[in-house]
Amino acid sequence: MKIEAENPAVEFHDLTVSYHKKPVLWNIDMTLPKGALIGIIGPNGAGKSTLIKSAMGLLPLGSGYVRMFDHKLDEVRDQISYVPQRESVDWDFPTSVFDVVLMGRYAKLGLLKRPRKADKEMAMSCLRKVGMEGYIDRQISQLSGGQQQRVFLARALAQEADLYFMDEPFAGVDAATEAAILSIMQEMTAQGKTVIVVHHDLQSAAEYFDWIVLLNMRLVASGPIEEVFNNELLQETYGGKLTVLAEVGELVRKRQIPSREKY
Amino acid sequence: MDSFFEFFSFSDSSIISVTIGAILLTSSSAVVGTFTFLKKKALVGDAVAHAVLPGICLAFLLSGNKNPVVLMIGAFITGWLSLVLIDVITKKSKIKEDSAIALILSVFFGIGILMLTNIQHGGNAAQTGLDSFLFGKAAALVGNDVLTFGIVAVILMVTVTLFFKELKLISFDSNYAQALGIPVRAIDLLLTTLTVLAVVTGIQAVGVILMAAMLITPAAAARFWTNDVKKMTFLAAFLGGISGLVGAYVSYVAPAMPTGPWIVLIISGLALMSFFFAPGKGVISRFIEQRKLQNQIMDENLLKALFHLGEKDKNLFEARTTEDILSRRYFPIKKLTDTLTRLKRQGFLTSQNSHWKFTEIGKQKGQRVVKLHRLWELYLSKYVKIAPDHVHEDAETIEHIITPELEAQLEHLLEYPEQDPHAENIPY
Repeated sequence: MKIEAENPAVEFHDLTVSYHKKPVLWNIDMTLPKGALIGIIGPNGAGKSTLIKSAMGLLPLGSGYVRMFDHKLDEVRDQISYVPQRESVDWDFPTSVFDVVLMGRYAKLGLLKRPRKADKEMAMSCLRKVGMEGYIDRQISQLSGGQQQRVFLARALAQEADLYFMDEPFAGVDAATEAAILSIMQEMTAQGKTVIVVHHDLQSAAEYFDWIVLLNMRLVASGPIEEVFNNELLQETYGGKLTVLAEVGELVRKRQIPSREKY
Repeated sequence: MDSFFEFFSFSDSSIISVTIGAILLTSSSAVVGTFTFLKKKALVGDAVAHAVLPGICLAFLLSGNKNPVVLMIGAFITGWLSLVLIDVITKKSKIKEDSAIALILSVFFGIGILMLTNIQHGGNAAQTGLDSFLFGKAAALVGNDVLTFGIVAVILMVTVTLFFKELKLISFDSNYAQALGIPVRAIDLLLTTLTVLAVVTGIQAVGVILMAAMLITPAAAARFWTNDVKKMTFLAAFLGGISGLVGAYVSYVAPAMPTGPWIVLIISGLALMSFFFAPGKGVISRFIEQRKLQNQIMDENLLKALFHLGEKDKNLFEARTTEDILSRRYFPIKKLTDTLTRLKRQGFLTSQNSHWKFTEIGKQKGQRVVKLHRLWELYLSKYVKIAPDHVHEDAETIEHIITPELEAQLEHLLEYPEQDPHAENIPY
């Protein structure tokens, strides 16, 4: 079940990605609409994070390509923002909440330049948006999980992008933070921005998203929520891995065969 | 003592140059090392430090003299080579990074020692002093050498300052940096180059064997004092500089003594002091914090016991003996009397002939603890669905840590309840 978006924000074209030589995503081919709140759903090990990491160029692509706003990533990078998984960094790093949010301005600044007053005010206003303005000088290790997630969101907002990839922004956050993050996302999409979220909770997925991508090593479905969020497709996504697909992946890793032949 | 004043009056121009040289070398290593430390690459620094030895020997063999620039180039090449090899081994084989580092470190250092021994027995008169690269010799920093090393040290510090923002970002979150389009590979390469350069210059004062300590220890010490990368870098440079100064002094007083071990001992001493005395993170500060907490718990438990007694007799301001208190709750006798005295000193109790009595504020404090205890019990049984006979133990701990904000939230949530799950009144 696959519905194509017209004039898409993101296009995945026949994407195959390997992790330590083992293919984890096979032939992902889909288009995602502009201005939508999009959820990427699937079981553990389905390759959800891998999908957005490869879209951001953080993992080498085995084959295929990703285009955003009908351009290569590097041509439109300043319009794209990425929120990594909260656990991916060391929160004991000696820095403050404000400094982390300011990092969202680094790309706009370029090398060797120091943050200007405008950048600092931008960072401040993003902190206000996520309700963290009272914590600017706080060392980041003293934050709760929900607060860490808010800081990461503020950092992404400071980029003033049009397309956001967020890796599990609701993982390990309290109910108040979840609601706050969701309302910010809805506000963003109302302004025409596209937000793509890796999400693992089926229950809330049904309420949160306009568009759903069902993933389990391959694309099971992609489309407006009312079309694809049904028992049959969810069953197909969660109902056990395709064992043959997993086994072939393992074989590829063992034999160290490149997933596409190159001459 | 004479030599102390002689040295620190800096009357001799060679003293000045040795001192400045040593300080520049140690603090520039510390500045670069801050990022090696933050990127958790301490072992890599150690490998590079050992791997420069064969480069120095090779450069000497090929050029036949000890021109520092030539030796530095040699050192730089093998230092770099070691990093490339570690990378290749980790990526292309099943050997993990820690093993690869150990492997490269020992192989390169082994070759270096072999070459050094060979040179020393080769009868080349120019070789004298080459062995000072093993343990360092700050006093050997004279004339043009100081200038050469000094310039490199300044270049290191300036480069770190220029790329500070990027170095910080890739140390904290390199995935995000890459997503931003920051040239992460190039910055990584820059940091690696800086590390090798810091090692290459630092070994003059510290020697290859102990050089890793010079990279990492100042940063580790500085980390105890601050939560800000910028301050941490400055502090690391300062602490490194102090150890360099001492190294220069030792080298002046006892020319036969290698300076490396001294410098490392000083900086390790500073790190140890930070470990104990730093506010907040230091062991002593944490110990004091723990003691305070224990006292607070003891105070609150005692006031609570007095409140319970008062509740039972319907007279909260009755004067009680220690026996009365002990009949309500067991306390070790020494602790009990200490706490009573402390509470009196702080104005929560008064005493007369070993009878202890609440002051008004003392009663309020005791009452609050009792209230928090019972509110928490009620919360646990009502919202967490824990059986009423299982909630007491938990409340014993939680009563001490609930903040006024949480207290208000609990009161609001439970709608100012009258009784806890054991049908005891909740005092307001």
